[in-house]
Amino acid sequence: MSYAPSPATLKKIEGMIAPYPERSAALLPVLRAIQEESGCVSPEAEAWVAAKLGIRPIRVREVLSFYTMFRRTPAAKTTIQVCWNLSCTLAGAEDLIGFLREKLRIGPDGTTPDGRITLETVECLGNCDQAPCLQIDGTDYGRMTKDLAASLVWELEAHE
Amino acid sequence: MSEDAVRLIPADDSSWRLEAYLRRGGYEAARKAVTSMAPQDVIAEVCRAGLRGRGGAGFPAGLKWSFVPQGGTAPKYLCVNADEGEPGTFKDRAILVRNPHQLLEGMIIAAFGVGIGKAFIYVRGEYDRIAGRLGEAVAEARAQGFLGREVFGTEFGLDVVIHFGAGAYICGEETALLESIEGRRGQPRLKPPFPAVVGLFRSPTVINNVETLANIPLIIGRGADWFLARGLPKDGGTRIFGVSGAVRRPGLYELPVGTSLRTIIEIHAGGPPEGVSIKAVVPGGLSAPVLRPDEFDVPMDFDSLSRAGSMLGSAGVIVIGDRTPIIEVLKVTARFYARESCGQCAPCRQGTSWIHKIVSRMAEGRGRTADLDLIRDLADGMKGQSLCPMGDAAALPIHALVSKFREELEQAVSR
Amino acid sequence: MSGAKTVGLNIDGRTVQAPAGTTVLKAAELAGISIPHFCYHPAFEAEGNCRMCLVEVEGLPKLELACSTVVKEGMTVRTSTPRILRSRKDVLEFLLAEHPLDCPICDKAGECKLQEYYDRHGLFAGRFVEAKEKRDKKVAIGKGLLLDRERCILCTRCVRFLRKVTGTGELGVFERGVRAEIGTYDGVPVDNNYSGNLVDICPVGAITDADFRFKTRAWFLKKGPTVCPRCGRGCAVVVESVSGYPLGEKQRRVFRIRAGENPAVNGWWICDLGRAGRRDIDENRQVRITRKSAPGETVSWETAIEEIAGRILGIPQVQRGARIAVVLNSLLTCEELALAEKVFAKGLGLPGVYFADPTPGEADGFLLTGERVPNARGVLEAGFSPRLPNLDALAAPVEILLVFGSYLLEHFSEEAISRALAGIPSKFFFSAYAGPLDRLADFVIPIALPAEKSGTYINVDGLRQTFDRAVEPLPGVVSEREILGCLADGLGLNRGGPDAC
Repeated sequence: MSYAPSPATLKKIEGMIAPYPERSAALLPVLRAIQEESGCVSPEAEAWVAAKLGIRPIRVREVLSFYTMFRRTPAAKTTIQVCWNLSCTLAGAEDLIGFLREKLRIGPDGTTPDGRITLETVECLGNCDQAPCLQIDGTDYGRMTKDLAASLVWELEAHE
Repeated sequence: MSEDAVRLIPADDSSWRLEAYLRRGGYEAARKAVTSMAPQDVIAEVCRAGLRGRGGAGFPAGLKWSFVPQGGTAPKYLCVNADEGEPGTFKDRAILVRNPHQLLEGMIIAAFGVGIGKAFIYVRGEYDRIAGRLGEAVAEARAQGFLGREVFGTEFGLDVVIHFGAGAYICGEETALLESIEGRRGQPRLKPPFPAVVGLFRSPTVINNVETLANIPLIIGRGADWFLARGLPKDGGTRIFGVSGAVRRPGLYELPVGTSLRTIIEIHAGGPPEGVSIKAVVPGGLSAPVLRPDEFDVPMDFDSLSRAGSMLGSAGVIVIGDRTPIIEVLKVTARFYARESCGQCAPCRQGTSWIHKIVSRMAEGRGRTADLDLIRDLADGMKGQSLCPMGDAAALPIHALVSKFREELEQAVSR
Repeated sequence: MSGAKTVGLNIDGRTVQAPAGTTVLKAAELAGISIPHFCYHPAFEAEGNCRMCLVEVEGLPKLELACSTVVKEGMTVRTSTPRILRSRKDVLEFLLAEHPLDCPICDKAGECKLQEYYDRHGLFAGRFVEAKEKRDKKVAIGKGLLLDRERCILCTRCVRFLRKVTGTGELGVFERGVRAEIGTYDGVPVDNNYSGNLVDICPVGAITDADFRFKTRAWFLKKGPTVCPRCGRGCAVVVESVSGYPLGEKQRRVFRIRAGENPAVNGWWICDLGRAGRRDIDENRQVRITRKSAPGETVSWETAIEEIAGRILGIPQVQRGARIAVVLNSLLTCEELALAEKVFAKGLGLPGVYFADPTPGEADGFLLTGERVPNARGVLEAGFSPRLPNLDALAAPVEILLVFGSYLLEHFSEEAISRALAGIPSKFFFSAYAGPLDRLADFVIPIALPAEKSGTYINVDGLRQTFDRAVEPLPGVVSEREILGCLADGLGLNRGGPDAC
């Protein structure tokens, strides 16, 4: 089964490659574009990117496995990333994480039983005056009290 | 001119647009530089202003620019470090969102001074949802002729590319940033050669922090003397201090370089909440060694903090209250560096992981007194012997925590 | 080279002159000071990730890498101050922290850099009491190579070799931090003709060869430098073998062939075909002189040569050209070819001496040549015009046939050869390997292989290389040099001298 981006994404990718003096340098933006569309970068997509940029597939895998924001397997429908670095820990991030894990019934694989929500811990999100912070699918939420977290959970589980 | 016109982060959130920026004198400094100054004079003025890098290392910006060989037809690059991964730091985010044009104007002046035709703004991946305004600002500036070819009708031109990271603190290190823009793993390079000579795509390159560049229009527009007067004789201007942790008013505070730590915490951030006293403060982002209350009168400038055994770094002030066990701080710190180590060199790769394992064991109640000396020894082994500054960044704060809070940690271990 | 600048510097109190552009590491080496290192290799640019080669450079506050610091006039370098000794201990401690205590079962023991440096610069008690990372210990990465990820110190020599030397890039580094690991891409194993060099350059036992795995210990191996005979390049190789203990008293076994260093020919590398030659030295060897007329009887090779000489002398001088045929090969050394020329061309007046050689293959664009013999140039220099025998030409009136080597079967079928040889009354074979043609010969005499003898080869670029015996010859084998010398004597051609038998 081979991979191809949608025409819109392909156009976007070509626009991303253009400004770099060397095609291979566009690897990170191209991977982002693919992941934005498909939710992850599959081995087939790796092969496609490698061919498109004139590099070996192994170089694509090296980059994918280095950066934490890239996924090689499909993500859950919703990803919650909670910061557990210093400012957020001082503001109660550990309790928040425990609370969310319990409320969402997160299993050892980091996902809800129905596989729709993933909970991850991340390092500093650069939002420290709003501690404790988290991101839901990349959007920032701050001053996450337990009440706010509870209503968040309710919202997420209510909206399929 | 009202104070607000010179603030790096305007009070009004809607004043980020080109229109509003022009109204408060925006792009005049760039026009002045590009149409009426010699590039060497631009560099000289920035040197005189004593502007030290605002990313963490504090290297004098003008001096860094002067390292790029003059002339030649080979391309040169400017990289803007908007990776902002240092824990406790959230100021560049505010500039990107509330004053993107001032950053662009600073970039134009810098590029003109050094002879650069293309700039990459490296934005950490976690900011991609909030970087929309930056993209729009670039489009606005292009439409107005401030970017692109023949800026202000001269021969000078500057292209800007926004490049997003993907989750790696190490990409805030300048050579790892270059590797990342070149489409590779963010693994720092050996120096020498230095980026000013062999940088992005093997070309001469300047890498500057967002806040550093945002100060450039003020220096060129109002002069080095004005800038110095706002700070200290050798360390001019203001810093945006990011305060978080056990304070009543966490937030960003733009204050003169040299303001004391105590003033920042107590006057501006409102001091600790009711019933809490301060046990320790991290003054310059997590990589800055911790300070104890008897050290809070230190002026917040590079040299003073250096003398105090810490660093100004990214000016991320994290206040730790007395209810927080230091073992928690140690755990979070050790865990962070272990997760962010790129893995290239033995001391950092093994050292951060080893320390993390020891600290985790201690946090679980299975520590021994010997662990504290071992952690200090391992930190010493990483210091000055790793491939890039991250080895020191990981070693120094851990060394400080274990040294300055030895008693508390010993008690925690013996329980 | 006149015109090249040299730089004077001081290393550990010694004044050293080094060419401009040399690294401190190399300059120290020139002065006889070895600075420990893992990730540096002279074939590549400095990498700087192991941190083992740190030295003190006067005037600089931090320790500097010897592998990447270029010498400057007047530089003062110190390589063994207490600070540096401390630094080396630190680096070793970090490398050993997660390293498995595999020495008792690790093939690299005895030639492992980590062991060597710990012995010389470490000798501290281990302080790591945490749980070590568990990783795969036997990853097949291709071509019989095994990767042990627990032993790997991520020096990345292997990755860099495949990117810069073979340009095939089969290995990469994945993940980051302490989870970083080396590996191949799905279903794309290491697959090039230089994969064996990965074992040579791995400083620890992370990459090992299944062919050598668990077979012996490095300290039992006798190292025999010689020249590889499997193609025309003439790469320097080291044949490593055991004779006697811990094998049986009379046993000999070749355990591996490694690259020798020769800047003029192969640099630091050899191809996998050369390494595979290990088997040729031990396997399927001819070990007994067999005499068709008396199969059970033991006969010495000198006696056999006497008989052969006798039969040759039985043919009148003028008829020898038509009735004696000789087949040689291009693995003979220059010395042997000179003798052969003296005996057959000059001495017996044979108009044509035939050559049967291993068939050529494809050159690989790097070291391996298309020709698969080591001394084609030597053959020409000796005055021969090598050509394959025409099997009909071998039929009557040929009465005596001498065949040196076992390569006729690469060119003709067994059946065709049998038929051609059927009409020849006296057939004498000199070969290293047992083969199906042996039953046809009156005498089969076991020959030494290049590794078992000394001599000179001229390589594809015309470079003369003289080599010594690299392994103990198997009992009973004899070199062509001895045979031809003895034959010359028997034919009355040699008046004494070193080749007399």
